[in-house]
Amino acid sequence: MNTDQLISSLTTDVRRVPRRAHAQRIGAGIAGGAVVTLVLVTALLGIRPDLHVAMHGFAFWMKWTYTISLGVGAVFAVARLSRPTPSSLRGAWLLAVPVLLLAGIGIGELVTTPYRDWLAMWLGQSWKVCPWLVLSLSMPIFVGLLWSFRRMAPTRLRAAGAAAGLAAGAWAATIYCLHCPEVSAIFVLTWYSLGILLAAGIGALVGPRLLRW
Amino acid sequence: MQVSEDQLKAWMTGGLDGDAGAHEALLRALLPLLRSFYRRRLRGADDDVEDLVQETLISIHTRRASYDRDRPFTAWFYAIARYRLIDHLRRRRASVPIEDVESILVAEGFEEAASARMDVDALLSTLSPKQARAIRDTHVDGLSIAEAAEKAGIGKSDVKVSVHRGLKALAARLKGDRP
Repeated sequence: MNTDQLISSLTTDVRRVPRRAHAQRIGAGIAGGAVVTLVLVTALLGIRPDLHVAMHGFAFWMKWTYTISLGVGAVFAVARLSRPTPSSLRGAWLLAVPVLLLAGIGIGELVTTPYRDWLAMWLGQSWKVCPWLVLSLSMPIFVGLLWSFRRMAPTRLRAAGAAAGLAAGAWAATIYCLHCPEVSAIFVLTWYSLGILLAAGIGALVGPRLLRW
Repeated sequence: MQVSEDQLKAWMTGGLDGDAGAHEALLRALLPLLRSFYRRRLRGADDDVEDLVQETLISIHTRRASYDRDRPFTAWFYAIARYRLIDHLRRRRASVPIEDVESILVAEGFEEAASARMDVDALLSTLSPKQARAIRDTHVDGLSIAEAAEKAGIGKSDVKVSVHRGLKALAARLKGDRP
C-alpha cells in the first residue's frame, strides 16, 4: 500500500476521542480486571463472614487506606508513563507516604505488645499464602491494564510495566482485604507489600516484551 | 513548507473532536516531517524510510488518545517517531547481529541531546532567570503551564507572560536585532 492510500484509509473513519478518553481507558482496564479478581475472591476464597463487623473496626480501614492509597499513586504513575513524552515522575516519592504511615502504626503496635507475641503478630495465620494470593489476584488487573495500554504510547516500557504491576498488586490487595482477617500493621506491611512488590517486579520484567508496540 | 506547531496542534485537536478533514490535513502535513526525520537517520535506505513513515502514521492514528491536549503537539509527535525508529533498529539488529545499532544510536542520540541542551542553555542564560525558568519548564521539560506555575510558585498568567516575553526576546536576539 502506498502512503497516500494509507492516509486515506486511516481517515475514512475518524472517531471522536474525548479529553477524558485516556483516563477512562485506564480506569476501564483496571475495573474490568478488578471484577474478575472480585469474582475469584468471592468464589474461591470467600468473603470473610464478619465483614460488616470488621468494617466498623480500625484494622480494616487501616488496610484499605494503605492499599487504596498505593493503588491511586500507582495509577497516576501508569497515566504518566502511558504517554510517549518524557514527563517527570516527580511525586513518585509520595508512594512512600502510606508505607511510612503504616510502619509508624506498626511500631506503635510493637511497643504495646509483649515481646513474646511479636512473632505471632507478624506471621498471623496466613503469612505463607498472603503474598502469593495477592500476586495471583493481581494478574486479571494486570491483563486489564495491558488492554488499556493498547491505545497508549509508552516509551519507557520497563517503568510502565512496573507501574502497571504496582497498580494491579495494590488493587488486588484492596479486594483481597474482603477475605483476609489479619489485623496487625506489621503483617500488612510485610506480606501485603511483598505481594504487591512481586507484582510490580513481574511487571518490570515482562513490560519491555508485552508493552512493545 | 514548514507548518507551525499551532497549526499542527489545531489539526490534531480537530481530529480528536471527530473532524476527518483536520485529521487528514494533519497526517499529510506530518509526511514531509517524518520523511526528513527518518532520512537523516537512516542514510540511503529509502524503502526503510517509507516503511517507517507508514508505521508511524498508523501509530499516531491508533494511539492518538495518548496525546495530552495541554502539551505541545510536536513533542508528542517526535517522541512517537523516535520510538518507532528505535524499535525499527532493534528489529533489524535481531537479523543483522554484527551491527551494534543500539550503541551507535545511544551515542548519536546523546551527542545530539547534549549539544541541543548546550545551545538552549546558552540562549536561556541571556534572559532573566524567571523567563528562562518558565521557558525551560514549559518548552524543554514539557510541563503544562499549570505545573510550571506550581513548581515556580507563581501564577499561571505570570508563567504565560514570562514565556511569551522570553520567546520574543530570544527571537529578536536570533534575528540579530540586538547583539
